[in-house]
Amino acid sequence: MWGKTLQFLPESSLREGLLPWVIGVMLFLCTLSLAGAFAIGQGLERWSNHLTANLSVQIVVKDAIERENQTQAALRLLNATPGVEKAEVLADSEIIALLSPWLGEMPIDNNLPIPTLIDVKLDESADRPDTKALSERLRAAAPGAQLDDHQAWMTQILELAAIIQILLWSVVFMVVMSTVAIVIFGCRAGLATHHESIEIMHLMGAEDKMIAKAFDARYLIHGLKGGLLGVILAATTLWVLSRMAERLGQGLISASLPDLSYLSWLFILPIAAAIITMLTARITVRKALLELM
Amino acid sequence: MISFENVGMRYGMGAEVLTDVSFSLDRGSFHFLVGPSGAGKTTLLKLLYLAHRPSRGLVNFFGKDLSTLERDALPRIRRRIGVVFQDYRLFEHMTAFENVALPLRIQGAKKIQVADHVEELLSWVGLGDRMHAKPATLSGGEKQRVAIARSIINKPDLLVADEPTGNVDAEMSRRLMQLFVALNKEGTTTIVATHDEGLVKRVGAPVLRLDKGQVSYTPGGKPMDPRK
Repeated sequence: MWGKTLQFLPESSLREGLLPWVIGVMLFLCTLSLAGAFAIGQGLERWSNHLTANLSVQIVVKDAIERENQTQAALRLLNATPGVEKAEVLADSEIIALLSPWLGEMPIDNNLPIPTLIDVKLDESADRPDTKALSERLRAAAPGAQLDDHQAWMTQILELAAIIQILLWSVVFMVVMSTVAIVIFGCRAGLATHHESIEIMHLMGAEDKMIAKAFDARYLIHGLKGGLLGVILAATTLWVLSRMAERLGQGLISASLPDLSYLSWLFILPIAAAIITMLTARITVRKALLELM
Repeated sequence: MISFENVGMRYGMGAEVLTDVSFSLDRGSFHFLVGPSGAGKTTLLKLLYLAHRPSRGLVNFFGKDLSTLERDALPRIRRRIGVVFQDYRLFEHMTAFENVALPLRIQGAKKIQVADHVEELLSWVGLGDRMHAKPATLSGGEKQRVAIARSIINKPDLLVADEPTGNVDAEMSRRLMQLFVALNKEGTTTIVATHDEGLVKRVGAPVLRLDKGQVSYTPGGKPMDPRK
């Protein structure tokens, strides 16, 4: 009662009491979207870093002796190329393992014409070789060689990821805007409920900032409560999802989840929610008070 | 101290509720405001306690022309005006003490000063033993006295009372009027709106009579006998 804020408003009404829950749900959605957006960015960075540090060369020649000759020629050329750390042929068993998702399980000795695959690891500390020139030189040394720098499909995946990120950020923006709108409605309802009290304070000579401060304090707590609720729910959801992803194994599911250690920023959100809620309430109340003489 | 010159008031695009109202309230004066329902008493009171600006005319409060005052300057003037509402307008969730303390707290008075003043005033209005009661547990007369105490706690220059005896019995009405007159004698300019012509006659103070939005002045009769 005697704090710096002259709190003349009665305890929260039921209608106002629902506000933290609504803010909590909005924050939950916002947090999941943010976590998704960050995780996609983080996962893609890791993935593209790995892929851009590698090249693949296929030797597609039907005759086994000729294929072996061209493979050796390509290996010599690749290992002598500046910027290449190591080039080595993948074993048939590894190639079959790579093909198994499409062709199913099959024996190694299956008479299927399988191209030779050379995995080229680039030296990350050196300049990346010019893939176009390297491809031409490879063709000259081994006519059956095809160089793949993964750019064609990487570009598509990065574009798709960028679109998903934009969508997620849009969701975050919309959720924040919706939260602001909900707080404005809540605040207006509060103003209507307490209209008489506000008018009496106003007529007793209370300045606008003094009246608005009572709402500031009230809505700061609403925002903080709602923010904590939403973030705790979201953090729990992300933790459960990451545990499930661990059980299911690596791949897309785990790639689309952020590291749990990376989630410490989540706890900034309740403070942000509290500040946004308070500022929204302050602006709404100050604007409404201007309607009084 | 307060003067109205050719004041007109209309709400929105409606007809004028007050037309060319002119009067002045001298420092330390006591006036009644009377008139039939719909005559514009409430509107005039709202102008007197600065709830509205007039649509036209000149209004001067404590030597300041209202039309030239910025909105930010009004709270300081409002703190010099005490208002007693007909329906009390007490904060139901606060005690009598807290309600009466509000004007002092708005002015930023220290806690100890607030406590001393409020206790003293509540005792003066006969509510020394009801300080921590909430309005819901108080009678009509007690609520009215809390409302009066709240309106005078910061020693206002002007006291505006709207039907302060409207909801109380005759005995309480007499006691409240004694309270107003006592306050007036301490220098508070007082204006009391009432329907009670008997009360006006008993007190014998000058009367501002409102009818169809226009005001007329009747000088006071014989001085009030506080025992009546």
